[in-house]
Parts: sequence; C-alpha cells; structure tokens
Amino acid sequence: MPYRHPTMTPPARSPELPDAHPAPRRKRLALSPVVVFLAPALVIYFGFIVYPVLRTFYNSVHVIQPRNVVQFVGLANFTALLETDPVFWKAVGNTAVFAVIGTIADVVGGLLLALCLYVKVPLARVWRVVWFTPVLMSYVVVGIIWVWIYDYDWGVVNLVLRWLGLGALEHSWLGDPQTALWAVLVTHLWKWLGFNMIICLAALYALPTEVLGAAELDNCGWIAKLVYVIVPMLRPTLVNLLVLSFIGKMMIFDLVWIMTGGGPLWSTETVSTYVYKRAFDWNTFDLGYPSAVAVLWSVIILVFVLLMTRLLSQRDKLEF
Amino acid sequence: MLKAVVNRCSLVGALMVALVAVAPLLAHAGEVLTVWSHEADEPAKVAFRELAARNLEKQHPGLQVKITWYEKGGLYTALKTALPAGQGPDVFYLEPDQTEYITNGYIIPLDTLVDWSKIYDWARKVWTIDGKTWGLPQEAYTDELYYNKDLLKKLGVALPPNAQFTQAQFLDLVKKARAANITPIAQGVGDRPYPGAYVLAEALLRKLGTDDYGKLLHGQLSYDDPRVVAVFTWVKQLVDAGAYPKNFMTLKLGESHYYFYQKPGALMLPMGSWYTGRAFVPVDKGGQPQDFPLGIMQFPAMDQGACPECKTLAVGASFAINAASKQKQLAAEYLNMMSTPDMGKRWIETVYLQSAVKTDVGAFSGPYASYFQELMARQQGAKYFIGMPIDILKGQCKDTFTQVMNSAFPGGLLPVDKAVSMMNQACYKK
Repeated sequence: MPYRHPTMTPPARSPELPDAHPAPRRKRLALSPVVVFLAPALVIYFGFIVYPVLRTFYNSVHVIQPRNVVQFVGLANFTALLETDPVFWKAVGNTAVFAVIGTIADVVGGLLLALCLYVKVPLARVWRVVWFTPVLMSYVVVGIIWVWIYDYDWGVVNLVLRWLGLGALEHSWLGDPQTALWAVLVTHLWKWLGFNMIICLAALYALPTEVLGAAELDNCGWIAKLVYVIVPMLRPTLVNLLVLSFIGKMMIFDLVWIMTGGGPLWSTETVSTYVYKRAFDWNTFDLGYPSAVAVLWSVIILVFVLLMTRLLSQRDKLEF
Repeated sequence: MLKAVVNRCSLVGALMVALVAVAPLLAHAGEVLTVWSHEADEPAKVAFRELAARNLEKQHPGLQVKITWYEKGGLYTALKTALPAGQGPDVFYLEPDQTEYITNGYIIPLDTLVDWSKIYDWARKVWTIDGKTWGLPQEAYTDELYYNKDLLKKLGVALPPNAQFTQAQFLDLVKKARAANITPIAQGVGDRPYPGAYVLAEALLRKLGTDDYGKLLHGQLSYDDPRVVAVFTWVKQLVDAGAYPKNFMTLKLGESHYYFYQKPGALMLPMGSWYTGRAFVPVDKGGQPQDFPLGIMQFPAMDQGACPECKTLAVGASFAINAASKQKQLAAEYLNMMSTPDMGKRWIETVYLQSAVKTDVGAFSGPYASYFQELMARQQGAKYFIGMPIDILKGQCKDTFTQVMNSAFPGGLLPVDKAVSMMNQACYKK
C-alpha cells in the first residue's frame, strides 16, 4: 500500500459504504460579529446619507404648508422650476461654465505641475510643498484670503497692477458680473491644483520606465512622449480625476458663498447656492421647491458622469 | 410617652416647614432655559442679555439660563433645521420680517405672557398679526446718516440749520468730497442684503411719503412711477459722481464702520442707529476713536418730495418663545426680565440705541450723552414709516431687491431703466 500523508485527500469511496474518515466540516462564518462591527458605520451611513437622500426625493414632490401640513403636488415643483425660474437657469449656466472649464483647467494644470516635479525642476521639493499646501486649507479660509486679494483698494492683485504701471487694468474683480465667476474659478483652481498634481505625480512614478526609455531610444521628443506615451498610459488616472473634479465643481457651494454670495446680479450663483437660498434665506419653511432643485441637479450630474465615463473610457487595453 | 409624641410631632413639623422653605429652591433645580441669540460680536448687547439671564437665575435658584450666541446667518440656519424637528431653544432671537415662524406655528402668542404696559404701542403693533402679538420687540432703530464733522468743515460746507441738504446740495457735497479724494459714502454690501439701499430707500420715502412708499414696497405701486424713476435717476447721479467706494461690492458691514471712522476714513455712513453697537466699543475691538467728530444729519430732502421729515423707524432685535418649549412660563419671565424700565434705561445707556421698552430718555447720562442728545434732536418733528424694505419684501422680490437696489444699482452696474424694470418684474403685482 503506498504511503499516504495524513493530509492527502482520501480516495473516493463507494456511496453505499459509510465514510470512515469524513471530510472536515467548513467553519461557518458567524454573522453576529460581522453585524456588530458593521452596524455603527451602517447606522451612520443610513442616517446621514441614505435617509436625507430619500427624504429629499420625498420633499421634492410635496409642499410644506403652514403648520407643518405636507401636501403632495406631484411634479408641480419641477414644472415651476423648469418653466418659470430664470434664476435657476442662470445658476445652471454659471455652474456649467465653472464645471467644464474648471475641470479641464484643474486636471491639465495638475498634470503640468506634476510633470514639472517629475522632471525635477530646481527646488522641486519646495514647489511640491508650496503647490500642495492650499489643498490643506479650508474653503472658508481660502475664500476670505482671496476676497482680500481681490479687494479693489488694498488687494494684492490691484496693488501689483499699479506697481507695474498697469493701473488702468485694476478692477473690482468680485464686484463685476463679467469677472466675478472667473475670479472665483481662479481661486478654486489655486486650491485644488495641488491635489491633482499629487495624484498625477504618483501615476507618473508608477509608469514603467522601460517604455519611457524605449521612447527616448527612438528619439521621441518630450512633447511627443507626453502626447503619445505618457498621457495614454495615464488615461485611467486622468479620467478618474476628470470625473471627480467635475462632480465637485457641479456641487460647488462654500467658496462661492464666502466670496460673493452668488452676486453680483446672480453672476456667480450656482445651483447649490440657489438651493441653499431657497431653503434657508427665503421666508418660508417649505423645502419642497429647493428639494426639487436638488433632485433635478443630482440626476443631471449622474447623467453627465455616466456620459463622461462612457466617452472617456479606454476601449483597448494598453500592453507594455 | 407624651413627650416622645410631642418630640416626634415637632420633628415632623420642622421637617415640613423646611420642605416648604426649600421647595421653591428645588422647583427649578437642574432646569435649563435655553436662549439662542444673534449679535455675538456686540459686547454691549451680549452683556445686556446675559444680565437679564443672571437676574432671572437669582429669582429662581437652581435655574440655569444658557444663551448660545450666533451671527445672524448661522442662527437662522440653525433655527430652520431645529424647529421643524420639534427642537430648538426655549427662546430665540428673530426679526419682524420672519413671519414664517408664525405661519408655521413655531412660536406662540405673547399677549398674556408679556407685560405690554412696558412696551411702546407702535413697537408692539409691528409684531401684531391677526390680532395676536407674536414677538417681543427689544431694539428700535432709525435709519440715520452719520458724518464726520471735521471732514465736512474741511470741504467748506456748512450743515443747514435743519441738518438736511437738498438733492442738489447733497450731490454737490458728494462731488466735492470725491474731488478732495475723500470717499463720500462708506458703504459695503459684502455680507448684508440691505445697506446699499439706504440712500435710495430713504430718498424714495421722502419723495413718495409714507402711504405711497408703503404701496411701493407691497407691490401696489409701479417702479415706473415718474417719482420713483426720478429718485433712481438722482441716485444714479450720486453713483456716477463716485459716491461709493470702489470696493463697495465686497466691503462688509463691520468693515464699512472701520472705513468710515478709522482707515481710510469717509465723509458719511448711512446706517441704522445700531451703528453704536460696533462704534462705541474700545478702539482695539474695532470701535471709533474717542475723539471722533461724529455728527448726524438728515437724509436729503427730495425736490417736490411729499415728506421731507419722514424717517424709517424699525424694530430690530426681537425675541419669541418656541411653541415646543416645555418652559413657556419661564421663557416669558426672561422676556419680561429684559423689558423692565431699568433694563430699558440700561439698554440705552450701554448700547446707545433706541429701545422698544418705554424709557425716560431725559435723564440719559454717560460718556456718549451728547451723541444720544443729537440722535433725539434728529427725531424732532419726524414722521415715521415703520419697517425697512428688507423687513417687508418677500420671496423673489426680496432677492431682486438684494441684487438690484442693494447691490448692482448703487454699485454702478445697472442703468436706471434696467433697475426699474427688474424691480417691477419681481415686485409689482399688476
């Protein structure tokens, strides 16, 4: 009889014969410890995320009358929103400009900064800290600082322009509907470029050096290497950054609220600030209409994110 | 045996007497009366309301009155989320434009809870809706035009005996100030929805008179009315003459005070008479210098104006009792504690602001007595319109007022016809 190690699988037996060496039973995973450990997080998730979302959907098809009477109105809020609310459409336009241009500038700018660090420009370590530090600051602090920077009389921007002899260009950057949105956008880019830079830098360091080496051997210039080698390889990272950046900008609130409050003349009004105003600044407790705005906007963001992901997704897998 | 019974009865009797004596002390032991209030950055008002709290605590040993201090925006958001949840404080700060608390049943009528004999009837009327009084008015204020006496003298202009310039004189004053490199009007709309409209609104009041001005604000008079257009046109002339600072759109309310009396300095500051809350504090806390030459003039009289003596009088800070409060009686006692004649006098003498509480102002004393006397002098012969535009307008009209009359029009971003058209579209109920 050949030697059989005790852990070797025993030979198959005839079904009629009883099993003298039954297979060890698998230990069943106990559910209660899993539930116990997951419960706190789930409670918080359901309480602070799922319930508010569901409640917002509910509110959007109701009107809160005085004395807390709730009246179902179907799609009336949505109809009023789409047909008779010029401020909503102004907010949509502003948010769209902010999201599209801001997203592209954010990711492209982050990539360029990352490339600077990747090729080790002088003082690269210092620049990395300098460019990333704004990411760590809160929107409130950033907003207040930049309101001072843009101030007409004592702001740095106008002071520099006067010092350079370009006093004719000094401007009320946040007080002019033509420039206010762009001024807020610049501030937003200042805060977030460092984040995209770090992500792109990590992705750059993860690129296979032999591919880049092969490109150099083929006398590939830096621009060509960037366009035909680096960017395609960074595509998944860039797509993720584009999507995240787009979502964040479509929901922009804090910076606008601190810097301009949506003015002047609604030129920086975003959908989020408009929802807030309708919910808390108007003399009403009715959350139905602002909830309708929030629901509609969420759907629009979702649709655009799905479109973006579909359009930008890589069809062919890169092999190297 | 008898002695033992007597001793026991005496002991029981003594215990009962002790319990009766201690019971009031224990009645509110561990109780907390919660108050949410605005004006966290105005030390005099903080001290006033905290004093009322301490006085109430002395009357009810064991009771703690806990005041949470907010700035206005944060307070309103907190209330809008807490009250629908059946929570929130027992007493909270509000202003007369916030009728939504009444229509939604979040506050209770105070007719039988407050001693109204101590409150001016006109102030009570502001809070009387559908025959019931819903809020306790505390602060009354008028819209005033503060100015720097020394700068006016420097410009070679003398204040008329009635302290009121004509339209043309006021425009001329603005031009003179600008030519002398002095900002004529320190005003900013960076963080408030109303100060940019002071000059425009006061001019409309004086041009139209109280009745038609009220109609305008209630959407019953068109902004296309020639008198209204004339006022808008005059204000546009002021704007084009450089009346406002270049950073008008971003300058905050507190910063405009500093701009006026500190750096860089300005000739005039239109402001509610609660100006004192920020100005009459130590300089290192943002107050005006002790020797600042503060004066008060009337807003200019309008050509063919219906009411040059008109002024806006408004109720500001008020308090209400949460309908969900379990301590309504105690809450009412706190309101009454703030409304005694002594507290009214204290309000005037420390906050330097009019009060809705009936107070004898003749005996006013203190370091700013001369200011208060000048303020009272400017009220002589005044005919009052009760309420600021921001208190009366609602919804889209209010939002448009904030963007147009408060911000874009005095900011020089809109011509007269566009401003008028936008206000009509949002406010005029044909």
